[in-house]
Amino acid sequence: MSPGPSGGDTGTALGSEAGLAKTDGGGEGLWIYVWRQFKRNSLALSAFYAVCLLLLTALSADFLANDKPYYLKYRGQSYFPILRGYLVQMGLAKWPAELLNVDFKKLESEKALFPPVPYRASNIDLTAPFESPSGPHWLGTDKLGRDVMAGIIHGSRISLSIGFVAVGIALVVGVVLGALAGFFGSWVDMIISRLFEIMLSLPTFFLLITLAAVLPQSIFITMAVIGLTGWVGIGRFTRSEFLRIRNLDYVTAALALGVPNRRVMFRHILPNALAPVLVSVVLGVAGAILLESSLSFLGIGVPADTVTWGSILNEARSNTFAWWLAVFPGAAIFITVLGYYLVGEGLREALDPRLRGSR
Amino acid sequence: MKRAGRCLVLSGLLLVAACEKGERVAADNAASQPAAAQAGPPTTGDWLINHSLSDPEQLNPLTSNDGTASEILGYIFESLLTRDPRTLELRPLIAESRPAISQDKLIYTFKIRRDVHFQDGRPLTGEDVLFSVKAIKCPLVNAPFLRVYYNSVVDAQLLDKYTIRFVTKEPYFLNESQLGGITILPRHYYDPENLLKDAAVRDLLRDPSQLPENVKNFAANFNENYSRNPMGSGPYKFLGWRTGQDLDLVRDVNYWGKGKVGIDQVYLDRVKYRIINNQDAALVTLKSGGLDLIDRLTPVQHMRGTGSERFNRQFQKLLYFTPFYSYIGWNNNHPIFKDKRVRQALSYLTNRRQILKTVLFGLGELVDGPIYFFRPEYDKSLHSYPYDPKKAMDLLAQAGWKDTDGDGILDKVIDGKTIPFRFEFKSPSGASTGKSVVLVLQDELKRHGITATIREIDWTIFLDDVKNHKFDAVVMAWGMPASEPDEYQVWHSSQAANRGSNHISYKNGRVDKILEDYRREFDAKKRVELYREFQKILNQEQPYTFLFASKFVSVVHRRFRGVEIYPAGLKPQDWWVPPSAQRYASKVMAP
Amino acid sequence: MGSYIVQRLALLVPTLIGISLMGFLVTRLAPGDPAELRAAGGLGGAREAALSRGKQSAVDEAMAQWRAQYGLDRPLHVQYGIWLKNLVTLDFGESFKDNQPVWNKILERLPVTIKLNIFSILLVYVIAIPLGIYSATHPNSWSDQTATFGAFVLFAVPLVWAATMAIVFICGGDFLYLFPPAGLTSLDYAPDWPWWEKVADQAWHLFLPVVLLSYDGFAGLSRYMRASMLEVLSQDYVQVARAKGVSERIVVLKHVMRNSLIPMVTILASILPGLIGGSIIIETIFSIPGLGQLGYEAVLARDYPIVMALFTVSALLTLLGILLSDLLLAVVDPRIAFGRRAQ
Repeated sequence: MSPGPSGGDTGTALGSEAGLAKTDGGGEGLWIYVWRQFKRNSLALSAFYAVCLLLLTALSADFLANDKPYYLKYRGQSYFPILRGYLVQMGLAKWPAELLNVDFKKLESEKALFPPVPYRASNIDLTAPFESPSGPHWLGTDKLGRDVMAGIIHGSRISLSIGFVAVGIALVVGVVLGALAGFFGSWVDMIISRLFEIMLSLPTFFLLITLAAVLPQSIFITMAVIGLTGWVGIGRFTRSEFLRIRNLDYVTAALALGVPNRRVMFRHILPNALAPVLVSVVLGVAGAILLESSLSFLGIGVPADTVTWGSILNEARSNTFAWWLAVFPGAAIFITVLGYYLVGEGLREALDPRLRGSR
Repeated sequence: MKRAGRCLVLSGLLLVAACEKGERVAADNAASQPAAAQAGPPTTGDWLINHSLSDPEQLNPLTSNDGTASEILGYIFESLLTRDPRTLELRPLIAESRPAISQDKLIYTFKIRRDVHFQDGRPLTGEDVLFSVKAIKCPLVNAPFLRVYYNSVVDAQLLDKYTIRFVTKEPYFLNESQLGGITILPRHYYDPENLLKDAAVRDLLRDPSQLPENVKNFAANFNENYSRNPMGSGPYKFLGWRTGQDLDLVRDVNYWGKGKVGIDQVYLDRVKYRIINNQDAALVTLKSGGLDLIDRLTPVQHMRGTGSERFNRQFQKLLYFTPFYSYIGWNNNHPIFKDKRVRQALSYLTNRRQILKTVLFGLGELVDGPIYFFRPEYDKSLHSYPYDPKKAMDLLAQAGWKDTDGDGILDKVIDGKTIPFRFEFKSPSGASTGKSVVLVLQDELKRHGITATIREIDWTIFLDDVKNHKFDAVVMAWGMPASEPDEYQVWHSSQAANRGSNHISYKNGRVDKILEDYRREFDAKKRVELYREFQKILNQEQPYTFLFASKFVSVVHRRFRGVEIYPAGLKPQDWWVPPSAQRYASKVMAP
Repeated sequence: MGSYIVQRLALLVPTLIGISLMGFLVTRLAPGDPAELRAAGGLGGAREAALSRGKQSAVDEAMAQWRAQYGLDRPLHVQYGIWLKNLVTLDFGESFKDNQPVWNKILERLPVTIKLNIFSILLVYVIAIPLGIYSATHPNSWSDQTATFGAFVLFAVPLVWAATMAIVFICGGDFLYLFPPAGLTSLDYAPDWPWWEKVADQAWHLFLPVVLLSYDGFAGLSRYMRASMLEVLSQDYVQVARAKGVSERIVVLKHVMRNSLIPMVTILASILPGLIGGSIIIETIFSIPGLGQLGYEAVLARDYPIVMALFTVSALLTLLGILLSDLLLAVVDPRIAFGRRAQ
C-alpha cells in the first residue's frame, strides 16, 4: 500500500556534490567512496552479508538439499550422482542400469555421502505428512510429506530470481524511458510523462491478478508482469536526474563538441544518474519478493509443482495446527526483505551528501 | 491534539465492545449444553443459521444457475412430484398422484391437488403449471441451460382447471422425473398482465424473432425484475437478503400442506444463510456461536479443528457420502493413452489407498465405476486396481515402452519416431485435492520413468480446454443426482463431439448400444442388468482411472432433532428444536 | 487556479480512456469464456474440479443464445465502442452473474472499501508523522534508531503472513477470541441499537483489517517525514530563528512543520492508487464485502462489465487523488504558482 520505507525525492542532490564519476575511472571514484561510507553503518553491513549468504544458498541449492548423494560407492564402483544427474540432463551421459531411477536412500551401498538436507523440495512422502520439526525433517513436512527445509532452500532460488529478473526488466524499461524523457524534454517528455501517469493510475495489483489469472502459470510470465508494472519509480528518478544533469556544463560542452546524443546519454550522463536508481533497485527486489508471496497466496503466479515460500505459506492458511508451515517460510521472506531494505537504506545514507557531516 | 483524544475514545469503545462480545459468547456457550434427552413430538420455533461460502447469484427460479441458489429456492418452490428422501422413489406433491402414462410412453397426464395455494394466499391451479412450462420453453427467457434440459417436451395443454397433459418427443424413462420436477411458479406474480395467455407451448418453439410482442415483453420483465424476490408455494417464504452478509427465509404459517398426511412438515421458524466466503473463518464463527450448520468441513478441519471435548459437547459431526466421484481422465485420443494397457498400467501405478489416507484423511471410499455405489445398479464385483508397480511395468513393457537411451525415461517408437513417455496434467487453480493427487502421481511416475508435467490454469480456461479435448490428462469429479443414473451423456460416442460431456473421446460400439437401450427400458431390473455389463466393460478398458467417492463431513449444533442422513445428503427442512433448547425467539409466530 | 483545474480535468479524459482500453484488451484478449462458466453453474465447481450432470446436454446452442444476449458475439471494437458510449451515461452494463446493474453493485460496496482505506490512511498518518518528527528532532539517538529499525521490521513482514496469524490466534478458534474473524457487523446487529453501540460494533470488526492494511505504511511515511524535516531543519531561516532566541518548540511547530508537511501531501497521491487493489487480500481473508473482493471474483469469473468498471473507477479515483494532492500542495506551499502569483 505504501511507498518504500526510504525517503522521497532524494534524487535531486545526490551524486553531484559527492563527486561525479569520471568516465575514465581515475582517482577515487564515487563508488569507492560510497562503499566506505556504507561500511560505517554496521547494521547495513550485516544485512549486506546476510543477503550475500542468501545468494550463495540460492546458487548452491542443489548441493545443499538433494535426494542424491555427493559420492556413492556401490558394488565396488564409485559414482558422483549429483554431478552425473546434471550431465544426464544435458544429454552428455547416461545412467548405468543399476542406478536408473533408484531411490538412493534405500540402496544398500558401501558408502554414501548425502548433502546436509537429503531431500529435494518436490520429494513426496505420503507416509510422513505434517511432521513437526524433528529428527529426519529439521523444519517439518507439509501435507504431502515434502521437507520444509528443502523447500525453503530451493524456494530461495525462485524468490530471488523473480526479484532480480522482475527488477531487471523494470530497470531497463524505466531507465530507457526516463532517460529519453529527461534528455530530450518537450513533447517526448510530455508523452512519456503521460505514460508515467497512466501506469501510476492503473490499479496495479488488480491488473497483476488479472494477468496472472489469464496467462499460463509460469515463473517467467510472473517476472515479466511484475517488472512491467513496476518500472515507474525508476523511470521518474531517472528522468529527474537526467533533467538536472543535462544542464550541467560538461554535458553542454560535450554536445557542443558534436558528441552524438546517444553517446552523451549513455556514457556521460547515465553513470552519474544511476545512484538514486540503485536504491530503488535494491528496494524493488524486496518489493518483488513480497509481491510474489501475495500472488502465491492467492494461488496464482507459479506452476503447481514448484515449491515457493509463498506456496508453503499458503498451505499454512488451511492447516493452522502446522505452525511450522507458517513460521519458517514467513521468516525466510521476512529476513530476505528486511535484509534488502537495510542494504538499500544503508546505500541511500551512504549516497546522501547531507548526512556526511553528521556522522 | 484532538486526534489523540478521539483515538482514546475509540479505543475505549473497542475495549468495551470486546468485553461485551466476550460475555455474550460465554453466555451462549453456557446455554448450549446438551438439552435433556427427552425430545417428544416435533415443535415449532427457533432458527437455523446455515453457512454459505458465497451469495447465490440471484434468486430467479428459472434463470439462476448456481448451487446455492438451487438450495435456497428449494425451500420456496415446489413441483408436481418429489422424491422420498430415503427410498428416492417418486412421490406426488402438488400432483394428486403419479401421472398416467400413455402406451407409447409419450404422453403424461397429471391431476393437480385442489387445496394448494401460494404464499400470498392465492390458489394454485393448472394455469400456473402451464405457465411454468411456457416460461421455461420461451426462448427469450434467460435460461438457456435449463431450457435445453427440457428439449424433450414438445407440448403441454390444460385438459381442465386441474389436469395438465404433456407430450414428449421420444420415450425416455426419466421423462416422468423431469416433468415432475418442473418448478411451479405463480402466474399472477410472475406474469401479472397475463402476457403469455395466448402463446401455446408449440408456438414458443419458433424462432425467437418471430414471437409476438407480448411474449417479448413478458421475457424482458421476467428476466430483469425477479432476481431478489422469489415467491412460490413452498413452506418457507423469502424474507430478505443483504448481499455479502446474510439471507433469510421465514416459515409460512399458512402453508397449504400444514398438517396434511403425506406432505413433509417443517418446524423451524427461520432459516438464515450467513455468507462467509472463507472456510476457516466459517469454522471459527461456528465455534463462537455464530453458525449452527456447516455443510462441508475440509478434511483438515475435520481431523484437527473439531475434535476437542468442548466442541463435541456442542456440535454433532455427520459423515456421509453423496453421489459424487473423482477420477483421472485420460484423453483416449492421445497417442500414448490410446492403448488400454497403458491406461491399466497407470491405474496400477496410482496408489489410491495411500492417497485416500493422506490427502483425504481417509474421508472417502475407493470406487471402480461411474455409478453411485449405494444404487442397485452399482456392480460390486468389479476388479479394484490395487497399487502394483510391478504389474504396471509389465503392462508397459508389453505395450512397447522401454528405456532405450538410459536417461531414466521410458520411450517407444510411434509412427517411426522415438517419443519419450511424457505428458501433461491440466488442473484448475483452486482445486486443492485434485492438485495434491496430481502431485503425488507426478512424483510416483517419475520414479518409474514417466515424466508428467503439471499445468494449472484458471477454471474458465480449464473448462474450455476440457470441452475442446485440449488436454492429455485431467483430474476432475462428477456430481450426479442420487436417483436413477443415466451415463449416456458421458460415455456415448456421439457426446464426444460438439463439446459434449464425453471429454475423453471414449468410443465403444457395444457401450453405445447398451446406453441407448437403457434409456428406453422402463423395467428397473432390466436396467440394472444392462448397466452391470456396461460397468464391466469400463472396468476392463479403464478410460478413466476411477478414484474416490468422497465423504462429506457436516457439523450441526446438537440442539437440532430429526437430523438424518439420506442418500442425497441432509434435509434441514425436517429439523426441529425442543422448546427448552431453543436459542432464537421470533417475534410472534403462530405454530 | 480555476483554469488550471479545468485543464487538469480535461487531461484526465484521454488518460481514462487509455486505461479503460487497456483493461478491455487485457480481459477480452485473454482466454476463458464466461459463457462456459455460466453453463457449468458458476465458480462453485472450481474447488473440486467438479461438473454437475444435470445441465450439460446440448449446451452450445444455449451458450450462443447467452452470448447474443450480452452482445459478446459482436466484433471487439464494436463492443468497446458501445461500452464507451454507455459510459457517458454512467451505464456500466449488467453483471453476468446476476444481471444486476454494475453501477449499483459498485455503489453498494464502495463505502466499505473507502471506509477501510480512509481509516487505514488516517492510522498511518497518525502514527507515522509523530514518529518521523521525533526521529528528526532526535536524530541518530538510540530511540530514533530503534524506532526506525522497528518500522523497517514491520515493513518486511508479509501481509499474508500477518493476516493469517491474526485469524488463527486472536480471532476465536482454538486460541484467543479478541476480534471477530469475519464480516463488518455482528450477527445480531440491528438498526435500532443506540448509536454508540453500533459504532463500537463496527469498530471492533474493522480494527484488525485496518491495522493490517496500515502497518507497512508506518515505516515509509515516517521516513519521509524524517527526511523532509531534516532537510528543512538544516535551512538557513531555521538557524536564523534559533539565533534570534525563539524557543526550539516554536521553531519546530511554527516554522518547520508547515514546510515539512509538504511532501506528506504528495505522498497521499501515491497511496491512493492502492485503494482497490491493496485491500483484496484483507477483504478475502476477513470476508469483507468490499470492492477488492468484487474485483477478484469478477476476474475469476470473467465478468467483463464489472472488471471494466472497476478498472475505470479505480483509475478515476487515483487521478482525482493526484489532482487533489496537487491542489492541496498549492494551498500549503506558497512557492507554487498556478499561473496566479509570480515566484
